[in-house]
Amino acid sequence: MSKKVLVADDEAHILHVVSMKLANAGYEVITALDGEEAYELCLAESPDLVITDYQMPYLTGLELCKRLRRDKSTMQAPVLMLTARGFEIEQEEIIAAGVAATMTKPFSPREVLATVKRLLETDGKEATKRKAT
Amino acid sequence: MTVAKRLGLASVALVSLGASAAYYAVTMAMRGHRVQTRNLNYLILGLVAALTSLLLLLFWRSVNRTVGSISRQLNQMARSKRLGLVMVEGCDEIAQVTQALNRLLTSLRDEMGRLRAEGRELQIQSRLAGAEKKHAEAVIFSISDAVVVTNRFDELLLANDAAETLLDFKLSHSLRKNIDYIVHDGALVRLIRETRSSRSNSARRVVEHSIDQKGRARTFSVTLSCVRTPGGEVSGVVTVLHDITREKEISQMKTDFVSSVSHELRTPLASIQAYVEMLVDGEAEDEDTRREFYQIMAGEADRLNRLIENILNISAIESGVVRIVREPVCLAQAAKDVLEVVLPQARAKSIELISRLGSPRRQVVADKDMIYRAILNLVSNALKYTAEGGAVTVSTNVDERREVAVCEVSDTGVGIAPEDLPHIFDKFYRAEGHARIAKGTGLGLALVKQIIETAHDGKLSVTSDAGRGSTFAFELPILQ
Repeated sequence: MSKKVLVADDEAHILHVVSMKLANAGYEVITALDGEEAYELCLAESPDLVITDYQMPYLTGLELCKRLRRDKSTMQAPVLMLTARGFEIEQEEIIAAGVAATMTKPFSPREVLATVKRLLETDGKEATKRKAT
Repeated sequence: MTVAKRLGLASVALVSLGASAAYYAVTMAMRGHRVQTRNLNYLILGLVAALTSLLLLLFWRSVNRTVGSISRQLNQMARSKRLGLVMVEGCDEIAQVTQALNRLLTSLRDEMGRLRAEGRELQIQSRLAGAEKKHAEAVIFSISDAVVVTNRFDELLLANDAAETLLDFKLSHSLRKNIDYIVHDGALVRLIRETRSSRSNSARRVVEHSIDQKGRARTFSVTLSCVRTPGGEVSGVVTVLHDITREKEISQMKTDFVSSVSHELRTPLASIQAYVEMLVDGEAEDEDTRREFYQIMAGEADRLNRLIENILNISAIESGVVRIVREPVCLAQAAKDVLEVVLPQARAKSIELISRLGSPRRQVVADKDMIYRAILNLVSNALKYTAEGGAVTVSTNVDERREVAVCEVSDTGVGIAPEDLPHIFDKFYRAEGHARIAKGTGLGLALVKQIIETAHDGKLSVTSDAGRGSTFAFELPILQ
């Protein structure tokens, strides 16, 4: 069964590129253009992983992440956050919000895919570990 | 003739008189006349007394006359307040006294003249000093920076209006009072005290200090100068507070601008890079997808170009580098040109374009291209944020009373939330959710503001009813 990834970004082209890269790699992709929409879709679809932009209308990537950590159905999904240089966010804030990995724009779709794979693998391993114990 | 001489002569006369009387008496006696010696004695005595009285009387009259003359002359001087010389005739003793008196009078007169001159000099100097003090105070009062002068006991000597307003005290009630009781800003008082008591020889200190003014924190550059006497003793402190809040804001704005610009430039660049990589990695399988990618990349490159163009335009106007070609311009004509250009765009979205262009007779002095650009940006914005089937109205008219030409662009679009309104002309500011409705550089309205207000001294304003539409209006002075 293919893994489900949610991509949220207010830049349509970024959204397009990332979702296409992931779709070509065999993931099931859902997209959202703002934080609020992303949160609602996460609740409805329970994706395995969330990729979100930091700067988004209505709900920032950080707020979205915090909310996802609070909800039982979404708390397991690792979050990959895309940030733009020039708007540096405090590292502690990112860790506190429960972000699994960050990537700086401009980014390479290749690297995004690699990171998604890594995050889902470790997540899977941890899940199997949890099952074993 | 001196009195002594006169008395001497008088006594000689008396003695000779006495002697002749005695001789007469002896002779008479020798001749055998019996003369009554007692009677003779009385006679001589009477003669001497009468003679003495006569002499004394004469002497008294002479002295009295001279003294009277002297006192008359002195009184005359006293009345006229002019010292002169006392002139007396006769009587040598009195002449001696008057000579001495005249010497005294002369030296008094010289002394008085000197004192008068000195007095005048002092008066002139004090007037000059007063004028200089007033001038120095006027200089201090005219300074827009707050100036506070304290003495070596930290008592207030002088403060200007700016200081009174900033530190909230009345100079008239505070002179010679310790600043502890006048200035409520403890940190500032400490700074003044430290400067006054510091042993170091560096006479000046500059400190950045924040003061709350009407609930708003303002930043001041505080210059504290220790004033010393020529002997090196501390005589007081001059404190100057210069408001650098605006400078700080501008420097913050610059930082923000650079970070916004880099972010805005990087976004289309990030897309282009990502699509190029996708093409390289062969992610676009068919020709159609590839063509789509190329189109997106071209569009993003175009966006990048527009961004740079806008940034350059804005900064050129801001810094005054741009050449503004001023000529008579008709707002109605400029608006008409814009409407023609945007007509296809409006038709594509089924938006009704309504033009209410007033008489083209009245003109403004402006840069034609810039005004065209400003109206175009306003109308494009209106079209962007108005849903299909809406309407955009462009009107121009002349307010004869205020002598301005007004151009208004109103739409039936999404409107602007009240909290976004104050920022709508800021560079890169985009209202929440507007990015979803339409693409934009966040610079269009900032450019309009620069064109109207910075380049043309006009006025740009906006009113909006969130959800129902917005009206942008600008006015420029009309050509008389």
